[in-house]
Amino acid sequence: MEHARKATIMRQANDIARNYDERINQVKVRYLDEEQHVLIANSEGKFVEDTRIHSRLAIQATASEGKEMQTGFYGPGAHAGFEFIENLNLEHYAGEAARIAVTMLHADECPSGKFPVIIDNEFGGVIFHEACGHGLEATAVAKNNSVFANRIGEKVAPEIVTYIDDGTLPNEWGSLNIDDEGEKTRKNILIENGILKGYLIDKFNARRMNAEPTGSSRRQSYRFNPTSRMTNTYIAPGSSKPEEIIASTEYGIYAKYMGGGQVNPSTGDYNFAVMEAYIVKDGKIDRPVRGATLIGNGARTLQLVDRVGNNLAHGAGMCGSISGSLPVNVGQPMIRVSEITVGGTKGE
Amino acid sequence: MNIVEYQEKLLDKAIKAGFKEAEVYFERKNSFQCMLYEGQIDSYETSEDGGLCLRGLYNGKLGYAYTEKLDDDSMSFLIDSAKANADVLDEDECIDIFEGSNEYTSYEFYNEELETIGIPEKIELLRLIEQKIRAYDSRIVTLDYCFLQEYSTERSLANSKNLSLSHKENGLVIFLSTVVREGEELKTGSYLKMTRDFHSLNADEIAKAAAEEALANLGEKSIPSGKYPIILRSDATASLLSIFMPILSAENAQKDQSLLKGKVGQKVASDTFTLLNAPFHPEALSGASFDGEGVATKEQAIILDGILQTLLHNRKTAKKEGCETSGHAHKDSYKGTLSIAPQNLYISPGKRSQEALIASVSEGVLITKLSGLHSGTNTISGDFSVAAQGFHIQDGKIASPVKQMTIAGNFFDFLNNIEETSSELYFLPNGYGSSSLLVKELSVTVE
Repeated sequence: MEHARKATIMRQANDIARNYDERINQVKVRYLDEEQHVLIANSEGKFVEDTRIHSRLAIQATASEGKEMQTGFYGPGAHAGFEFIENLNLEHYAGEAARIAVTMLHADECPSGKFPVIIDNEFGGVIFHEACGHGLEATAVAKNNSVFANRIGEKVAPEIVTYIDDGTLPNEWGSLNIDDEGEKTRKNILIENGILKGYLIDKFNARRMNAEPTGSSRRQSYRFNPTSRMTNTYIAPGSSKPEEIIASTEYGIYAKYMGGGQVNPSTGDYNFAVMEAYIVKDGKIDRPVRGATLIGNGARTLQLVDRVGNNLAHGAGMCGSISGSLPVNVGQPMIRVSEITVGGTKGE
Repeated sequence: MNIVEYQEKLLDKAIKAGFKEAEVYFERKNSFQCMLYEGQIDSYETSEDGGLCLRGLYNGKLGYAYTEKLDDDSMSFLIDSAKANADVLDEDECIDIFEGSNEYTSYEFYNEELETIGIPEKIELLRLIEQKIRAYDSRIVTLDYCFLQEYSTERSLANSKNLSLSHKENGLVIFLSTVVREGEELKTGSYLKMTRDFHSLNADEIAKAAAEEALANLGEKSIPSGKYPIILRSDATASLLSIFMPILSAENAQKDQSLLKGKVGQKVASDTFTLLNAPFHPEALSGASFDGEGVATKEQAIILDGILQTLLHNRKTAKKEGCETSGHAHKDSYKGTLSIAPQNLYISPGKRSQEALIASVSEGVLITKLSGLHSGTNTISGDFSVAAQGFHIQDGKIASPVKQMTIAGNFFDFLNNIEETSSELYFLPNGYGSSSLLVKELSVTVE
C-alpha cells in the first residue's frame, strides 16, 4: 500500500475532527498496520504457521477554550488489512473524538460517592476485562493468586451475566486462527448464567492446573514467553433495552466512553477512568461530568450487575501484561452495576 | 563488520544516494531476567536486542528508517525507506543534523563488576530474599512477583558532520510483590530495589522492607470521603511526576498541548518547589552525557523556588522558539523518532524527614501508592483522579491503613499547594525522582 493513500485517510480524519467545532485546536491521528508471521514448532510434532494482519486508526482530538482543555479519543482496529481502514466511517469515529472533547470542555466536576453506574456498550467492556478477565487467566489462577481460583461451578455473578472469550470472531481485533503455542483458538465460556465455568489456560499452566489448554496462549513477539491471555472478551447480550436501563435509574452515573484502567490480579481491586460521563437523574441523562474514576473489587462488582442490555458491541484496545502488549477486544452490551465507588474532584 | 565500520559505510552510502546530511544511531541491550515462585524458577530469560536507525535530510525533509539486521542488504533498505519516509512528510521546518557540542561531561554509567558476578549468585540472592520474606510473618501468603533483572545497554551516534558519541550503562533491578492475608482481608505490597553495586544488596534488609510494606496494609478502615491534607510518599510522587512530565515539553507547548506555554519566568509552583534535571545523579540508574541528537546534557533547574526556568527543548523546538536547545531530545529506542524527555528529573528534597512531616499533620492521609495513572490523568488539563493506597494520619501518627481510595485534583493547583518537601529522595528506574511532599489538600474518596 502506498504511503500517500494512508496519509490521505489520516488527513481526512484530521479534517473531520478539526471542522467539527471551532474549539477543536489540536488533532492527532495515528495509523498502524502490522503483518506478523509466526511459525510454531515443538517437540510434540507440532508445526504450524500463520500470518496476522492488524490495522488501526486512532484519533485524538483536543478542545480548548480559555484555560480549559479536554481530549476525546477513538481508536477502531481490526484483524484485517487496508480494506478495514478504507471502509471506516471516518465521520463517525473522528466526529466522536471531537464531540467527546467539546462535551467535556464545560462539564461539571464529577461528584464522589457510591452510585449506581451505567456502563455503555462496546469499549465499556474494559471494566470486566480488568475486573474479571485478568483474574480468570491461568497466570493468576494456577498459583492461587486470583479470587476466582478453585471456584469452578460456584455462583460468582448474578444469573443475567454470561462472560465469554472468543478468539474465533471473524476479523475482530483480538482474533487469532491459532494461539502462540499453535493451538486453535475457540469460544471459551468463562461464566455462564452467573456460574463460573472455565479459565483461560496455556500449556504450561495446564500442567500445573491439571487441565486442558484453551487456545489462549499469547505473546507480543519472540521476545516474550507465551502465557494465558484474553482475545475478544465480552459479556453476552441480555434482554434489557438501553433506554429502559437509563429510564429505571433514579440517580447515578452514566459512563458513555470508558478510558483505561488497571487491576491488581491478586486482590481483584481495580480502578478506571471514565472519558465521557454523565449524571443520570430521574431516569434521564442530566449533564456531563468530568474527572470520574471508578474503584472497587472485581469479584464484588460482578455480583452487583443488575441490568444487562441487548446491544452487544466490541471495542479495540491494547492489553499489557507479562507476555507483552497485545491487541484485544473488550465488549459488552450496556450494563448497570447497582453500586460502584466513584471518585471525583467535586467531593460529596 | 563492527559497528563503527558499519556506521561509517552507511553514512557514506547515504550521502552518495542523495542525502544532504545523515545520522546513524545504534543501540544494543543485553538483558537477563528471572522470576521465582515458592523457591522454584518460574521464568528465566536472556536476550540481546538491538538495532540501528538512519536519519537523514533528503529534499529538505528529515526521513528516517530502522533495522535490526546489520548487513549489506540492510543499507539499501535503510536508504530507500528513509527517502520514502521523507517524501511523505508535510513538515518543512527542517532541522539539520547536529555538528556536536563543545564539551561533554564524562561520567561512569557502567559498573563492570556487576557483569562479572555470575547469574547463579544473583538467583541465589533472589531465592534467599523470597525465603526470608515468606518466613517473616505467618500472615504472608506468597509472593505474586519475585523478579530480578539485569541489563546493559550500549548506544552510539555518528553523523556526516563527524560527530561520534558512545554510551554504556548497566544496572540491576529487584521487584517484589508480597501477598498477605488476615481473615478475609487480602492485600499486596510491592517493593523495588535498583543498583549497580551487587554487594550493596542485603537480603535481610530487602526482605524486611518488602514484608513490612505489605503487612502495613492489613487492618484497613474506611474514613469519610472529603478533602484532607496529604503526604504523598516519595515513590508515589515520582510516579505522578513522570506522568505529568509532558507539560514541560516545549513541543507540547508549541502545539497548544501544555498549559505551561508562555510561562517561562513566571511562578508555576509554591516557593518550596524546585525541580531539577540531573543527568549524572548518583542515585539514579539512568542518564547520559548526550541526548538523542548528540547534544551535551547538563545539570539544570527546570523550576527553581516555584519559578519556571525553561521548558524541555530539542533542536527543533528551540529553533522555533529562537533559543538554545536544553539537551532534551529523546529516543525511546532505535525504533523511535525523536521526542522530548528529561534526563533524570527530580523534586529537590527539603530539610525535615517524612516522619517529621507526618508529625506536623493533625488529621490527614499518607499516600504510599498510586495506580491507574495512565488513564486517570489528563496532562493537558492537569486534572487527575487516580486510585490510591495509604494510611489515615491522626494527631501526627499513622492510625490505620485506609480502604481503596481515589485522590483527585489538578496538577497545576497541586504544584501551588505543596507546603513542604521532605529530606528523603527516591528514584524510579525510569529516572524520575522525588522527596515526599506535604500538600495542603486533595479530594479523597474512600470505598
